Amino acid sequence: MPRWLSALLWAAISLTGAGAIAFIALQRGETINAAWLLVAAVCTYAIGYRFYSKIIAAKIFALDATRATPAARLADGRDFHPTNKWIVFGHHFAAIAGPGPLVGPTLAAQFGFLPGALWIIVGVVLGGAVQDCVILISSVRRNGKSLGQMAKEEIGPIAGYTALVAVLGIMIILISVLALIVVNALKSSPWGTVTIGLTVPIAMFMGVYLKYLRPGRVLEVSAIGIVLLMLSLYVGRWAGTHPVLAPMFTLDGVTLAYALMVYGFAASVIPVWLLLAPRDYLSAFVKIGVVVALAVGIILVLPPLQMPAVTQFIDGTGPVFAGKVFPFVFITIACGAISGFHALISSGTTPKILENEAYARFIGYGAMLTESLVAIMALIAACVLTPGVYFAINAPAGLIGTTAESAAAMIATWGFTLSPTELTMLAAQVQESSLLSRTGGAPSLAVGMAKIFSDLLGGTNSMALWYHFALMFEALFILTTLDAGTRVGRFMLQDLGKHIWAPFGRVSWYPAVVTSSAMFVACWGFFLYQGVTDPLGGINSLWPLFGIANQLLATIALCVGTTVIIKMGKAKYAWMTILPMIWLVIVTMTAGTLKLFDPNPKLGFLAHARWVAEKVAAGELPPGVSDAAGAARLVFNDRLDAAVAAFFMISVIVILVDSMREWWAVLAGRKPMVSSEEPYTARAAA
Amino acid sequence: MSNTDTARCAGGAAVSGPPLRGWARIAATIRTIIGAPDYAAYVAHVRAHHPEREPMGEREFVAERLNSRYEKPGSRCC
Repeated sequence: MPRWLSALLWAAISLTGAGAIAFIALQRGETINAAWLLVAAVCTYAIGYRFYSKIIAAKIFALDATRATPAARLADGRDFHPTNKWIVFGHHFAAIAGPGPLVGPTLAAQFGFLPGALWIIVGVVLGGAVQDCVILISSVRRNGKSLGQMAKEEIGPIAGYTALVAVLGIMIILISVLALIVVNALKSSPWGTVTIGLTVPIAMFMGVYLKYLRPGRVLEVSAIGIVLLMLSLYVGRWAGTHPVLAPMFTLDGVTLAYALMVYGFAASVIPVWLLLAPRDYLSAFVKIGVVVALAVGIILVLPPLQMPAVTQFIDGTGPVFAGKVFPFVFITIACGAISGFHALISSGTTPKILENEAYARFIGYGAMLTESLVAIMALIAACVLTPGVYFAINAPAGLIGTTAESAAAMIATWGFTLSPTELTMLAAQVQESSLLSRTGGAPSLAVGMAKIFSDLLGGTNSMALWYHFALMFEALFILTTLDAGTRVGRFMLQDLGKHIWAPFGRVSWYPAVVTSSAMFVACWGFFLYQGVTDPLGGINSLWPLFGIANQLLATIALCVGTTVIIKMGKAKYAWMTILPMIWLVIVTMTAGTLKLFDPNPKLGFLAHARWVAEKVAAGELPPGVSDAAGAARLVFNDRLDAAVAAFFMISVIVILVDSMREWWAVLAGRKPMVSSEEPYTARAAA
Repeated sequence: MSNTDTARCAGGAAVSGPPLRGWARIAATIRTIIGAPDYAAYVAHVRAHHPEREPMGEREFVAERLNSRYEKPGSRCC
């Protein structure tokens, strides 16, 4: 392309993007079309990729297509094998995209669509994609080392151990909050429960098929699995209206929570070929399929956004979760803007299969931009609901009561209209007994997606099928994170435990396997139970903890990245990782402090504990609590949550101080400025 | 070791020898994206680079791959 044409093209993209953002930001009082959000996002991504990621690729790391990657140098046909660029992209995207980018934006929609959208678009270009890309390249240049190893070797042992313990803590909170979302989505929904429940025997059938009937036929068995999955949707519908089965599978939250704990434990102790691996295959297909379907649906329907750009809840009084727009929008939306968990993927399988390091920009930066687009689409799907419906689904029963009338009355005081019949009708359309207070984000996203899909295909009559389809796929890949995560957590516990008692570390010794699995399930199960029985809905306390944890991990990753860049002698470009790092430190510390010490009992854990204690002392009980023991439990949970938040905050400070000490030593010349990269080896010509 | 063969990528994995075509190529692509073990690629690698070794059997290989996949964080995200 001639230079002038390219300049013209990029000028046009910049103007279009800026125009769309200006239009979105300045529009008041009228509904705008989702197309504006999509255009603003895509133009910003294009500019970020073309210009910003080039600094990482060209100026900092000087990516060199002639340099051999670990995939080629260490090729073993197993972990390390050079793989086509597009396939690595697909693999990397399938690994990073989970329920996070769907749930976070849905919850953050309580502030209106603007704060979430801006953070997703700006955060990914300046933060998330930078982190993923820098960690990927750093790992590729170090034989595919993991984030934990790099933290230990680049920064020091203190940072290394903090990272290790932080990852374990994050897994516990992550799994508990994801499990809570599934519980809330399946509560008193026999259709959903039966459909999701059937995915377990389907996966086990696939496992047996692959192991004994037709070994190695992964695609064949996946095709069968997908057909069975669709059938389970219809079986669920049939069971949901069956006189005997329907009441049997109409379960309450606590029962579902125990069922998930049993499931997680089983996934951790039984062989992976029987349950985990086949589920994972199924989930990867469904995930990519649904993301594509959502994109096609939104582009074809181009729905108007019913949610206002900004709601009054930016002042911190929101019903979905407490806290002002700063810092809580940045905590609520992690995946999609910046997610520390990605640093584990970017230093996991991907660096070991990258064929040519020049592709690291496309895969590290590009895949994260794609995930960000998924987050924007989730935000759109949540915002096609009218605010009244959105808040009726997402506000806890403690606030809006348990009838459509009480909900409509409460929501009217917030300035949104909702007719009780509208809500009852919507619930009937999706064949759920009620949509009130189905917190956690999954049900409202499913209703939004069902609206978009049924607009496109099948009309109102198909709403129920689409709703349960959306719910099934969300639950499917949440459960994939839950079961794989429990198993990983068990291995991490065993690895830590062997320092205390060596036999505990034996990974195929059943007493150790069972004990460590039970311990790990008990850890997340405790938080899950706490969330399910919390009168405030659980999401209010657990999702911010998860956000803080995830951003802590991102801080660790950015500290590692900065250290790598400084030691390469490229300190003048270190601002690229320092900038998002400073922002995350500000956000996590502010949010952590508020969750700990804010005097408002809805926001501060300690204030809530005090409030409950005062109520009990005055001889009454807080709403939703039936006895003094329950109140005491509530106080204990608050204090535990406070301790967890404090632990994450201390970890941030430890990592930051340890990193700065290292940077200072290198920059002051007390430590040699030597990069730990593997030396250059020429890549064999392909 | 000579990497001329492994550096070439044919439809998803480091397969030495002629590139895969048609359905085989698409299948190998999908398998890699969803993270299924690729036994053919492994055997091809061992034959090309370690002719003195006998490759593991398919069941053993698949079991080893799957176990290693679910041992450490890094294959699955939130």
